[in-house]
Amino acid sequence: MAADNNFKQFYDSELHDLLQPLETERHAVKKLAVFTCLLFVAAVIAFIITSSSRSAIAGVLTLILFLGGIIAVVRLYYRKKAYVSKYKEAIVRKIINFIDPSFQYDPGSHISRTDYNASGLFIEKPERFKGDDYIEGKRDKTFFCFSELHTEHKVGSGKNAHWETIFKGLFFIGDFNKHFQGRTYVWSEYNPQLNFLNKLFSSFAWDLAKVKLESSEFENRFIVYSTDQVEARYILTPSFMERLSKLQDMMGQKTAFSFVNTNIYVAVPIKDDLFEPSVFSANDYNTIGDYYNTVQMVLGIIDELKLNQRLWTKE
Amino acid sequence: MIIIAAILVFLLLLVIIIYNKLIRRKNAVDNAFFSMDVMLKKRYDLIPQLVDTVKGYMLHEKELLTNLTAMRQKSMELKSSANDKVVLDNQINDILQQIFIKFENYPDLKASENFLKLQGAINETEEQLAAARRFYNAAVNDYHNAIEMFPSSLVASWMNMKHKTYFNIPETDKAVPVITIN
Repeated sequence: MAADNNFKQFYDSELHDLLQPLETERHAVKKLAVFTCLLFVAAVIAFIITSSSRSAIAGVLTLILFLGGIIAVVRLYYRKKAYVSKYKEAIVRKIINFIDPSFQYDPGSHISRTDYNASGLFIEKPERFKGDDYIEGKRDKTFFCFSELHTEHKVGSGKNAHWETIFKGLFFIGDFNKHFQGRTYVWSEYNPQLNFLNKLFSSFAWDLAKVKLESSEFENRFIVYSTDQVEARYILTPSFMERLSKLQDMMGQKTAFSFVNTNIYVAVPIKDDLFEPSVFSANDYNTIGDYYNTVQMVLGIIDELKLNQRLWTKE
Repeated sequence: MIIIAAILVFLLLLVIIIYNKLIRRKNAVDNAFFSMDVMLKKRYDLIPQLVDTVKGYMLHEKELLTNLTAMRQKSMELKSSANDKVVLDNQINDILQQIFIKFENYPDLKASENFLKLQGAINETEEQLAAARRFYNAAVNDYHNAIEMFPSSLVASWMNMKHKTYFNIPETDKAVPVITIN
């Protein structure tokens, strides 16, 4: 997707020159990555020779190659980390500043676990919680923040125990334009945690009831649960339902929304890392334009849902 | 003999289940109406303020304002069924919509700070009322499905359950005008 003309000008005047030293750095990291792979391939070949010939020299060589490979992996890890960090500071920060200089960007930070839990979008409690690329600011009247998040929990036990992803993608919180007391959830698919037994014993789900809305198109896309039937309709007006559907088209089928503590929470599952430059592909206008478009798409939540149009009591 | 007894017990259980379901639906409509009644009262409280604020400006709409005041009075005094209230509210809603459209013809009024504050409060109440109406209509729809579908329709006619009136959802409710005051 091509970014707009203003961004093209900004890219030519501000970013293009910054990319040159970063490209040199990227090539160095790429070379190190290739060298590391070769070391391991050589180590495996040496190991096969050692096993068949039982030669002491081949054995020593295998050991040296493996040790060299491990050292190279450690070096690669730190080198790549330094490159990504430099890249984010130089390029991503500039893009955010270009969109709005008042926006704050913290590449190492993320949406807090408390906020994530408050959203109620994911009922399973995460045991692993990580993320990065935290951005916050105020667009007109609406405070917002978002970051990448990856949450996991452990399933199974003993040998079968493994980590399972609960959510990976972009997590957005915005100040909603209406006051409300209860909790309303708009999921894109049935949440098995809301079955009869869980509803009886869960402090989260016991007061939730399904909200049947008039729009069959909306009903086909989303499942709505709320603690207050009237309030759910106060939030989900017919025009707002249309806007949520449009946003789902933009963001992806599994996008989920919740309305809690007068905030709107949006969880957009995304497989790839958002602002993570790849070592193996060149950084050009298209790659950088994608970062710009991603931020604009997230800000589009505020514009598309008209969160700046405020009712009297929430000026 | 046992088979007949089993069928009778089954039928009795079925009637009890249907009866309870119908009562649940009826109570849901009553609850929905109650939550809407609260919103309607909130709106009735705003109508005199609205009339007081605009009557000095909207000299050509005197009849409309008098009608609105009379309807509001009638609705406040109404102690009869929910159906009557629904019909009256639909009429009040029509008049309010006409008045809202006429605001456009009075730039002086639109510039008045009192009016803007009041319109903000009315917008909020109308949004809440629109939500309460939709909840009420959803409850009435479930209730109608229950009293019309077989076999619950048999029990419903035995219980003398009647149809309820829907609230009109004006087209404008789909996008209640929101004003922003800077």
